[in-house]
Amino acid sequence: MHPAGLAAAGTPRQPSKRRVPVSQPGMADPHQLFDDTSSAQSRGYGAQRAPGGLGYPTASASPQSAFLGDPVSNMAMAYGSSLAAQGKELVDKNIDRFIPVTKLKYYFAVDTMYVGKKLGLLFFPYLHQDWEVQYQQDTPVAPRFDVNAPDLYIPAMAFITYVLVAGLALGTQDRFSPDLLGLQASSALAWLTLEVLAILLSLYLVTVNTDLTTIDLVAFLGYKYVGMIGGVLMGLLFGKVVYYLVLGWCCVSIFVFMIRTLRLKILAEAAAEGIPVRGARNQLRMYLTMAVAAAQPLLMYWLTFHLVR
Amino acid sequence: MAFTLYSLLQAALLCVNAIAVLHEERFLKNIGWGTDQGIGGFEEEPGIKSQLMNLIRSVRTVMRVPLIIVNSIAIILLLLFG
Repeated sequence: MHPAGLAAAGTPRQPSKRRVPVSQPGMADPHQLFDDTSSAQSRGYGAQRAPGGLGYPTASASPQSAFLGDPVSNMAMAYGSSLAAQGKELVDKNIDRFIPVTKLKYYFAVDTMYVGKKLGLLFFPYLHQDWEVQYQQDTPVAPRFDVNAPDLYIPAMAFITYVLVAGLALGTQDRFSPDLLGLQASSALAWLTLEVLAILLSLYLVTVNTDLTTIDLVAFLGYKYVGMIGGVLMGLLFGKVVYYLVLGWCCVSIFVFMIRTLRLKILAEAAAEGIPVRGARNQLRMYLTMAVAAAQPLLMYWLTFHLVR
Repeated sequence: MAFTLYSLLQAALLCVNAIAVLHEERFLKNIGWGTDQGIGGFEEEPGIKSQLMNLIRSVRTVMRVPLIIVNSIAIILLLLFG
């Protein structure tokens, strides 16, 4: 059976839909199958995955013991499961070359309070005073401990919600068809990629010495989806005027948010503290920050205006 | 909205082709963007123009062979699937 069914059998939500009994004799604790992100850096990533991975073949043997009585299929299943374990090991060893998994985990170390505070900051950044990210021995603190740190959880969730809300909006106007959802998602992703590439190119041309990584940039550029969702939902509920009002408010908020966040990353330290430093380079960097921040409201309007009619 | 990831890929391929096609002697030298005209010493501030020239030179050097491969694939795919 597929392991997803076994993992779901451990949760009390769907006992009636699965045929397997809730308590499995040989099954590991379901919480151990997922990563423990309660600590800021989980070093036991590799060690914790192994017992969870090996728990699958042994646990799946019991409900199928009647079906696979003869030894040939037993051997075939053992061979297949050992092949799967080998493939999993290979993927685990090589995944770090293509996707920086350990770096990504920093961006998903969030909790509910952080998400709440960050969403409040995205809609109302005017009263927040200190925008610096706290550091802990040369590494930035996990988002759980500092509301200024960028995260990828909110942008990822907001992107998915945007695609769903776009489908909802198209449905209320009788323009929906399933491939339009994929088109919306692909289009928003393409704009995001284009934005990231354009900003990386301009950062290279202006020779900015910054610690702004690509993933940081993706995180900051993904925050605008929150405002877009708010605008479209309000527009669906209350009409076009409310859509423009809410979108305008979110646009201004994102503009201020981006300027205050990027100022610390792109500009030199002296200018970031508010002292206007003269010089062509700092002026160029300021223009770059303002251009990046000004592109956000434009894209927010461009990606949502066809959804609210 | 017909702006998909595939069209982004197409646009990127066309842009890289455009950079690779610039003629060194007839064009770049005439507007002062040649590869031997950019190195002005190791000052502090490279400036946008020298960064651009560096970028164009690196793209032309690095992408010459991969572009041949990718262009051939694109030609074959377009011939087959339109």
